[in-house]
Amino acid sequence: MKTYDAVVVGGGIIGLSCAYYLLKRGKKVSLVEKNEIGAGASGACDDMILLQSKAPGISLELAIESLEIYKNLSNDLGMDIGFHTRGGMILIDKKEHLGLMESYVDSQRKYGLDIEIIDKKQVKKKHPYVKEGIIASTFGTRDSQVDPMRVMKAFLKSNLDMGMDLYRNKNISEINKLSSWWQIRFDDGSSIETETIINAAGSWSSDIGKLVHVDIPVTPLKGQILVTEQLPSLGKENIWSSDYIVSKLKPELIEADSIDKRLGIGLAFSQTADGNYLIGSTREKGNFNKNTTYEAIETLTKQITYFFPILKKINMIRSFAGFRPLSQDGKPIICEVKENEGFFIATGHGGDGIALAPITGKLLSQLVCHEKTSMAIDELNISRFG
Amino acid sequence: MSKIICRCEEITEDEIIEAIASGASTVNEIKKFSRANMGLCQGRTCRKAIERILSKETGQKLENIKPSSYRKPVRPIKLGLMK
Repeated sequence: MKTYDAVVVGGGIIGLSCAYYLLKRGKKVSLVEKNEIGAGASGACDDMILLQSKAPGISLELAIESLEIYKNLSNDLGMDIGFHTRGGMILIDKKEHLGLMESYVDSQRKYGLDIEIIDKKQVKKKHPYVKEGIIASTFGTRDSQVDPMRVMKAFLKSNLDMGMDLYRNKNISEINKLSSWWQIRFDDGSSIETETIINAAGSWSSDIGKLVHVDIPVTPLKGQILVTEQLPSLGKENIWSSDYIVSKLKPELIEADSIDKRLGIGLAFSQTADGNYLIGSTREKGNFNKNTTYEAIETLTKQITYFFPILKKINMIRSFAGFRPLSQDGKPIICEVKENEGFFIATGHGGDGIALAPITGKLLSQLVCHEKTSMAIDELNISRFG
Repeated sequence: MSKIICRCEEITEDEIIEAIASGASTVNEIKKFSRANMGLCQGRTCRKAIERILSKETGQKLENIKPSSYRKPVRPIKLGLMK
């Protein structure tokens, strides 16, 4: 029987990052994935490390710390992960959004973020193809992006080089607590033993929680995204619409019966390092159906061609959907479960999994090693859900 | 110069082998790690070639290799045509 210091459940970017930081500390680690690497949200997402969208408080603090790690991660992993800092703009096209966005920007500036509101002339200068009628925009210089696929590849390569065992296509049927360690049984009858378990199974983490009778309030939030053909740059900064922030902060300002509201659409528009534009995203509650829908494709198209009419002439080459693991209060869950010593959780990142992967792995490894965490994360403990 | 396998994304045989060396063991993982299959044609041209390289490099039998996924729209479509 194989025995480990730590078994990470979930082969997405969070699980790979947790495994990486544990391996770096000399732990004997394996990673268990029921499908293949990046089969869940991490392989069906956009590429943003967006500071502007994070609510002031721990979400923003985590993103700032994570961004710092990302800056050197290509060097640490010995592989280019496609990190760029292009800055970001949140376009404001509705008068009733302006006041809310101004106070939002103020609260973020208090955290030291370099963000301002720019007028429509400046908007046009930065993004000449944007439609007439934009009132204003936020402008932040630090919003960045990374190629999530390359990050996963680089983590996986480093992890395998450091001796990680990888179990693909393995379904866990039972998790049993033996005296001071854990036994994980697979549905093919085989099993492994470990001192600690890290549940990083994203939208499926509540299923893993059930195996040890821990209720993890994380549900899938479906995000559909369109991909365009490769294009020259339309403007340096990546783009969001204020609907995206307003729907997070003050949903009552979004028209009640609209399709946009039902699909939870707030426009996110970014260019990948390879030149494709990603047009996102829906935020749909409900099911695990990975198909994209005509309604969502149509609505996203309408949104983007409204803001950038020039895009009517270009091709969409693909659409895809992923399930963002959304916790009940929208904040990640990173902790050891009190009544289950040795069972750790790193999930609930919602749409911020790519952005927060490095800091999550780092904090989790500190928890596993019983060290003081490098930032205070008591409010990320699952105990907050009572 | 290594052969181009994925013409849309100009991905060479060496790059696919490098993705496998980084840990990819399925066509979908190769797609994610190398971008082969990720272009305009969604692998219509290269998916068979990629399956063969994967089989050769890893010893998996060809008939056991799962094809990579197709996504809507199957052909590129102008955004202006979506009404």
